[in-house]
Amino acid sequence: MVMRNRAAWLPWALPAIVLVTVFFVAPFLLNVRFAFSSWTSFRAEITWNGLENVRTLIDQDLLANAVTVTVLYAILCMAIQNTVSLSLALALQRTSGINTVFRSAFFLPTLISPLAAGYIWRGLLAPDGAINSFLGVEWAWLGEPSTALVVVAFIDAWKWSGLITLVYIAGLNSIPKSLLESAKVDGAGPWTRFRRVVFPLLAPALTFNVAVTLVGALSAYDVIAATTGGGPGDHTRALNVVMRQQWGQGFFGSASALGFTVTLLVIATAVPLVWWLRRREVTG
Amino acid sequence: MRAVLKYTALTLFAIPWVLVPIWLVVVNSFKPAGEAAELGLGLPRTWAIAENYGIVLDRGGYLMGLVNSLKVTVPIVVAVVFLGAAAAWAFGRSRSRWLQAAYFVMGLSILLPPSIIPTVYLLRALSLDGGSLGYVLTMTGCRLGIVIFLATGFVRAFPRDLEDAAAIDGASRPQVFVRILLPLLRPVLFVGSVVLIINVWNDFFFALFLLQGSANATLPLSLFQFASGTLQSLNWNLVFAHVLLTTLPLVAVYVVAQKRVLAGLTEGALKG
Repeated sequence: MVMRNRAAWLPWALPAIVLVTVFFVAPFLLNVRFAFSSWTSFRAEITWNGLENVRTLIDQDLLANAVTVTVLYAILCMAIQNTVSLSLALALQRTSGINTVFRSAFFLPTLISPLAAGYIWRGLLAPDGAINSFLGVEWAWLGEPSTALVVVAFIDAWKWSGLITLVYIAGLNSIPKSLLESAKVDGAGPWTRFRRVVFPLLAPALTFNVAVTLVGALSAYDVIAATTGGGPGDHTRALNVVMRQQWGQGFFGSASALGFTVTLLVIATAVPLVWWLRRREVTG
Repeated sequence: MRAVLKYTALTLFAIPWVLVPIWLVVVNSFKPAGEAAELGLGLPRTWAIAENYGIVLDRGGYLMGLVNSLKVTVPIVVAVVFLGAAAAWAFGRSRSRWLQAAYFVMGLSILLPPSIIPTVYLLRALSLDGGSLGYVLTMTGCRLGIVIFLATGFVRAFPRDLEDAAAIDGASRPQVFVRILLPLLRPVLFVGSVVLIINVWNDFFFALFLLQGSANATLPLSLFQFASGTLQSLNWNLVFAHVLLTTLPLVAVYVVAQKRVLAGLTEGALKG
């Protein structure tokens, strides 16, 4: 039969394979080379230089700080986002008129660009802004080292929480009702039902959301560009922020090394996380 | 009684979470610069709607940004959806080891962050740097993976009898694709497009590296240039007017399609 002919499938996948190969895989492989190459705007020739870029970044006290900031940012962002979204999902799980209105309202921030979200919260959190005058304090949320990173991560979480809430609702609704009913009959209270039935069965949605928010936040840039630009000092100077600065100054090799560091962090985070959460899913 | 408590709590949460941010943008975009600098939530003492929005449309490069954003978003979404669906069909049905290996690479492209610096280098080598085409191709290559992954799951979960029957009846492969596959994949392609549109319309990072000059600047890029153009302190009234105009097209589409968007995302996102 025509449909079972093996070779005939290739043309259908070929355009996608070519595009992904040229515009994703090739840059990915080139990055491994550039990260360990001398390549600047002052000398167009690209030559292998081993760990020179990494050494320079360490000597300038850029690398360790950027890695710490990026990892902290990702963890904060993931924690805030999943706490808010899971709570909202539990409250809005049932599909009803009023719940749809709330779901719709909480989805709105997702439509706003992270850059615009940065400007909005920078306005709200200004020292003489609305939030401080409501709280009766005068605090430069984005200007103080102790709060800047948390606030920036919060803004990123705020922007994405609407979408993540919907994924959690989808996960909650895929839990068989009969299971919850029988747990209720057996005398399990709401908290026990959540801990023993809902939470383990929510594993696919949880896996997805935790992985997506962590991995996404490791590439943080937009919100920081709109709010702190990396400051105060270097307290919010994540890897991509340093990468952009290095790129702007013409240090293309160092910029590649920073990009490659993000990739390594993503691999180090995602692989064990997906593996561990998948195992929990099965045994959970 | 518990329901009353719950919805009171939700409303109290929604006020600072959604309402106040939106109100801040709208009301301050109506104020003259000095008043907006106070960043208050009160109504304008003096209204400056026409002036502010006039400046954003004129100096802020809004209209050009809008055209540029449409010029890249539409081709990217169309290319990702159709090329992704075609590839998902092949990955879902073929048993070729080569194609299965390619599918694995597609999966990796979802997880790993795109390498932006070598992309600039590559586009320069292909003489595609700085312009819309290079940006469209790059975004398509980097976003295909997720749609392929979701759609392939869908294809695999679906028996192939329907396709075989159509083939026996003499339908060509493109006919089977258009008449059977695309309708079958509609829910997952819809969800994919929603996320993709939000993603591409709001993209700043890729645009910053790949699009050069204001002639190619998309809306986020034009917002950033506009906001950074005024040194030190922002002109909040103008920045917020720009934010509002940049977000408005997506919100308008969302208001029209929100029922389907919400239903699609809560029902179709994780299946397959």
